[in-house]
Amino acid sequence: MTNRTHTSALGCEAYDHVYELGFKVNHDDWSPYPRVNKLRQTFLDRPYEIDVQRLRLVTQAYKEHENKVRKLQCAYAFESILLNCDLNVYEDDLILGELCAPGKATPIFPEFSVEWIIDEINNFPFEEREFDQFYIRTPEDRAEILELLEYWRGKSIDDLVNIRLTQEQLKGAQKGEKIFQTNYYHYAGAGHISIDYEKLMKIGIDGIIKNIEEAQAALTKKDIGYAEKREEYEAMIIMQKAAKEHIARYIPILREKASVETNETRKAELLAMADNFVQVAGGPAKTYWQALQLFNVITHLIQVESNGHSISYGRIDQWLEPYYLADIEAGILTKEFALELIEVTYVKLNNPVKLKDKSTVIVRNGRCAGGESLTIGGVDIDGNDATNDLTMMFLEASVHTRMMNPWLCVRMHEKTPFELKVKTAECIRAGYGHPKIFNDEPAIRALLRKGVTLEEARVYAVVGCVEPNIPGKEYGWHDAAYVNTPKMMEMVVNGGRILDGPDAGKQLGPDTGNLETYQNFDEVLASVDAQFDYWLDQMCTSLHVIDDAHKTRKPVPFVSAFYDDCLTSGKDLAEGGAKYNGIGPQASGIATCSDSLCSIKQLVFDEKKVTGAQLLDAVKNNWNGYDTLYALVNSTKVHHYGNDDDYADELFKFMFECYCKNLRGRTIARGGTFNPGVYTVNANVGMGMNTNASVDGRKKGEPISDNMGPVHTDCCSHDIYGPTAIANSISKVDHSLATNGTLLNLKFPQEAVAGIEGRDNLISFIEEYLSKKAMHVQFNVINTKTLRAAQKNPENYKDMLVRVAGYSAYFVELGKPLQKDLIQRTELHF
Amino acid sequence: MSIKGNVFDIQRFTIHDGPGLRTEFFLKGCPLRCKWCGNPESFSPIEQLGVYKSKCISKKKCGLCLDVCPQKDALTFYRGKLVGFNYELCTNCKACYNACPSDAIKLWGQMMSVEECMEIIRKDIGYYERSGGGVTVSGGEALLHTDFVVELFKACKEEGIHTCFETASLGKFTQFEKLMPYTDLFITDIKHMNSDTHMCYTNVRNEQILSNIKQLAANNVELILRIPIIPDVNNNMENIEATADYILNELGGKVRTLQLLSFMRLGEEKYTAIGMPYLMKDVKVNRKSFTKQIQSFAEYFNSRGIHCLVGTKEKS
Repeated sequence: MTNRTHTSALGCEAYDHVYELGFKVNHDDWSPYPRVNKLRQTFLDRPYEIDVQRLRLVTQAYKEHENKVRKLQCAYAFESILLNCDLNVYEDDLILGELCAPGKATPIFPEFSVEWIIDEINNFPFEEREFDQFYIRTPEDRAEILELLEYWRGKSIDDLVNIRLTQEQLKGAQKGEKIFQTNYYHYAGAGHISIDYEKLMKIGIDGIIKNIEEAQAALTKKDIGYAEKREEYEAMIIMQKAAKEHIARYIPILREKASVETNETRKAELLAMADNFVQVAGGPAKTYWQALQLFNVITHLIQVESNGHSISYGRIDQWLEPYYLADIEAGILTKEFALELIEVTYVKLNNPVKLKDKSTVIVRNGRCAGGESLTIGGVDIDGNDATNDLTMMFLEASVHTRMMNPWLCVRMHEKTPFELKVKTAECIRAGYGHPKIFNDEPAIRALLRKGVTLEEARVYAVVGCVEPNIPGKEYGWHDAAYVNTPKMMEMVVNGGRILDGPDAGKQLGPDTGNLETYQNFDEVLASVDAQFDYWLDQMCTSLHVIDDAHKTRKPVPFVSAFYDDCLTSGKDLAEGGAKYNGIGPQASGIATCSDSLCSIKQLVFDEKKVTGAQLLDAVKNNWNGYDTLYALVNSTKVHHYGNDDDYADELFKFMFECYCKNLRGRTIARGGTFNPGVYTVNANVGMGMNTNASVDGRKKGEPISDNMGPVHTDCCSHDIYGPTAIANSISKVDHSLATNGTLLNLKFPQEAVAGIEGRDNLISFIEEYLSKKAMHVQFNVINTKTLRAAQKNPENYKDMLVRVAGYSAYFVELGKPLQKDLIQRTELHF
Repeated sequence: MSIKGNVFDIQRFTIHDGPGLRTEFFLKGCPLRCKWCGNPESFSPIEQLGVYKSKCISKKKCGLCLDVCPQKDALTFYRGKLVGFNYELCTNCKACYNACPSDAIKLWGQMMSVEECMEIIRKDIGYYERSGGGVTVSGGEALLHTDFVVELFKACKEEGIHTCFETASLGKFTQFEKLMPYTDLFITDIKHMNSDTHMCYTNVRNEQILSNIKQLAANNVELILRIPIIPDVNNNMENIEATADYILNELGGKVRTLQLLSFMRLGEEKYTAIGMPYLMKDVKVNRKSFTKQIQSFAEYFNSRGIHCLVGTKEKS
């Protein structure tokens, strides 16, 4: 490789000298590029709308092709959307392409589910939501949407899933007691992928079509799946050709605009963009700008086919670098313009927004599609450091734009250069919530557990919040469901029944004993194991039904064509066409459960201070009448996770491993297995609302514990020894067992990371944390005062970004309970 | 090795007392009574009970402290909540502390052996190594525990751990001589140059302190000096100039960094907990002009060739 030296202005130089540390309101010049500041502000000012075009076109196409097989219906619908939607060219923009809808407007995806949309439009209008509002433009649009949706009743994935799930499966799910929640893929697309952009850039859409045609030619009639495969190829070709035509539609629009443009500079830009479109409407990217343009348009089109979120960008600093180097070498690109294009692209990548049902947004609010991770740094295929100029520039662009997307992820390893650590620390302490840090060692080990080769594992990229994935090879159904383990713990302490609520009398799970009957602590642990087994049976079989419904009702041939193994096998991603397949549901609230186990072990069995019956009665009564016991379980006299205390940490490890063990080994229909993750993102607040009191000293309705973090109840914080103790506790478990990822949030006050010493201390902390083989960490560097002020005067903090457990959101858009939780989290005092 | 020290607090991941990431031990007992002290629980050399009344869940709901106390009147209640101790009646038996379920009764001071401390120190050894950090012993006046600290630092040095001694420098210089072979860095306060004023605000004179610091410098130890800038106590140019003269003339300028620490209203809740009045309650500070003034002091020291920074930093 040539030109590996870092630039000064765009390389490792710390920018806080100019832009200062932390959040400043009314500071609208984060980016040195006026264009970027303007595009960013235009984006922020634009309303969140619902756009009817996709719904209209897809409905027409399905009606028109009602006698075709599903794959072809999908293909014709996609083609119709791409060829007929309005296209937008925004003022000053350099990179084009949205979701076949105006920027920041959400299309509707009736193929997945419609009942909730009809219900909410009629009874709980999106405009009137407390947060995550969306606006239907006119009464005519509203009437048209309702009319079009009628056609889809009974035809969606949701409908097919509903008729196949049994009462036993439903009682614990989102419509029942919410012990596990499978709503994401029950109501929407799966997403959570990253295609092989490197290949796309090299061969262009024409190359992809050629590959499909070659695979098609190799298909023989002796193949038992001949018909399905032929249809898959046919659909792929229709859709790829539609994509070409869609891209080409921009050319006359741009030339027309250029012809009337009076500003010569802008005129040249418009013509250059037209040339870019001429090239990438079929051909490979020949320049850096074209590569970013092709990337943007294809990434959006994947999200027009399906509304699965976390359509991630792979290792963009790696696949983009050849174009950057070549253009610099040829003298047709400056570093300044290269950075400006990245920043323009960043703003653009905020456009995909997604309409979500009200029960989903209570748990996980935010209007962005979410989870579009951009991975930089890390090792290359040979295990050497892969940092380059672009690695630095993608970080710099992030601090210059400070938006929700992309979710920047820096991969680190033993040989990560100090400059990259400095730059990462500078971004972290700017306090806008990016980037997250991923640790190559445990992530690669986790991937090897899934059966990938070492070379493949080394080039992993993160998709979604924290899920390691092999671009172009893996369809992991990451983030498939959430298990509310404290809710399951209610079954453990109360013989398979929940503690309170309308269903309190029902035998929901198996009776595996209760706090009155357990004779020793081993019986409690055995009961945890048995309840996991039972509830994961319910959840996994439900997910099989959902997975099958996606295959039957909404295959995804467009994105499948970017997967080599789909081409050679003739199978859609939904049919198991990817090289590696999985389903990744995550456990939430592990520390709530392990601190509950601490209370039981220490107070009931070791010290015999209380009886199991008393403890059970206390949580049944939401601790009312048990003030002393409530104070005690929340006090420092009881062992708690997060304090580097083996007594408690061993029980955390037990819970963590028990979940992984019970999930591991379960196979899936697409080929592959279930993959456990341990995180909540920010769902701990919503899940807690629906969870009765717990033995760790949590009252009914309070948040359950956050991701891999320790317990914070309304009474107090259970961890008291600061970040090294948390880091030591968290690294006592083998993170690679969670093949679907783990997540740790740490919140530091700004003052603690100030100055050169503060920066270096933060770097040292990160280095040591990573050397302990924990998989992920991200930081909230912010002061509680700022958060309180933001809660009081949201209008002044329109664009304040904070880290919310694995994903970023604008603080003022968070629900009040989540804001409160953020404020209450332990301020980690150095 | 049976020697023990009375530790009233252990802070892991501290960043303000010495370089890098550190574990800090606070030892109990202090001959000074600085009016602005943020650690009043460090004054007494013996184990001490205190009350955080907001954490008490009330006599009516709990009352466990009363059940176990051999001297019922030693516990003072107000509106049903424990608010303090009558230390004259209290036998310091700690039964109430052991019984309290809510962390309302706090026990400051715990006799710890060197090995017990080392077990805690070792937990974060990787953080010290990466950051150039280590172990800091502070107080109180940790010179009261010189023999213990010598043993502790000896153990640290055997394991390659950086050691820092944070002190008010009130003691015999022979105590420093014992520490010097095992101490990588000394951090000491200079609270005021005028001995009468020093006496007035800290209850001790400063001659011994200044003499100790002078001898430390003469021995070429790594030395950081600190001035806690307290409004209306030492924030006047006369004192600042005198300090600069002392550093240049008496210490030969052999100071790694001079750190100016801005007065903060710290420790008020702890004064309440141990039933002592907080003497700085009525001190009002105009933060903006005060900060500006401290900045000007720093500039003055630097103009005299003394490396001086505001805060606990060493790098500007």
